[in-house]
Amino acid sequence: MTDAAQARPRARFVPGQPDMWAFVLFEALVFTAYFAVYVVARTRSPELFLQSQAHLDLRVGVFHTLVLLASSWSVARCVQAARERSYRAALANAWLTMLFGFVFLVSKVIEWAGKIREGFGFTHDEFFSFYYFLTALHFLHLLIGFGVLAIAVHQLWSPARRSQQAIETCATYWHTVDFLWVLIFALLYVMR
Amino acid sequence: MNAGFERRLLAVWLALAAITLAQLFVGSLDEPDALRPNAALGASAIALALVKVRIIMREFMEVRHAPALLCRLSDLWLALAGAVLLGCYLVGTA
Repeated sequence: MTDAAQARPRARFVPGQPDMWAFVLFEALVFTAYFAVYVVARTRSPELFLQSQAHLDLRVGVFHTLVLLASSWSVARCVQAARERSYRAALANAWLTMLFGFVFLVSKVIEWAGKIREGFGFTHDEFFSFYYFLTALHFLHLLIGFGVLAIAVHQLWSPARRSQQAIETCATYWHTVDFLWVLIFALLYVMR
Repeated sequence: MNAGFERRLLAVWLALAAITLAQLFVGSLDEPDALRPNAALGASAIALALVKVRIIMREFMEVRHAPALLCRLSDLWLALAGAVLLGCYLVGTA
């Protein structure tokens, strides 16, 4: 791209399909309702929630967050590379995003297994019920995210299929998985 | 890839990582087994998370390049989430 082209102001655009943005805002509202129920329950039994929260490792939560933020970074690079028709780089970043997602997935399963082994199952108390409900719901979105990323890889693989809008739509979904985790991390691991 | 855009994405990730590490610091300020809520730490945890979400939306999701309606809707949701979560927390712990 020339300097003159870079200097030109870009026209405003909706990244990906507008339908995906309607879904993102809907999901954001639904999760906000879940989070509000959690916060209200937390303020009713603060000692119980703080006592149970102390059994979570904040450093593990930070690791999960950094990994998902890295996946958002790589999928944003994927979109930009595809926009510049650097499809090899776009594909590499899509695979990198999947790798970060997989690291999160394995780490989360290990964390769940550890908590269950320690006796903190879904029915242990109210905090752990919320912990498993919110993280499992997010996990489900993450699993769908792998399918969505597979669509992006499929799009990038062949010159006959490459649709910039489809790739941006997939990236928008993946970023949603990331920002929902950012809120879950704050509420479950950091809040006092 | 456009070097300027790549630098910007890296700077955004570094900023988000720095806020996350600040959350680790904030979360460690209190005794890990302190059995009383700390309104300042709780509210700052929510506020920092909302700042991070806005950065993700504006930068990674490219809302800053989106039409005004999408910018306003995303900010409206963030304001609503902030009001609901901080409101429920601060009223509940008061």
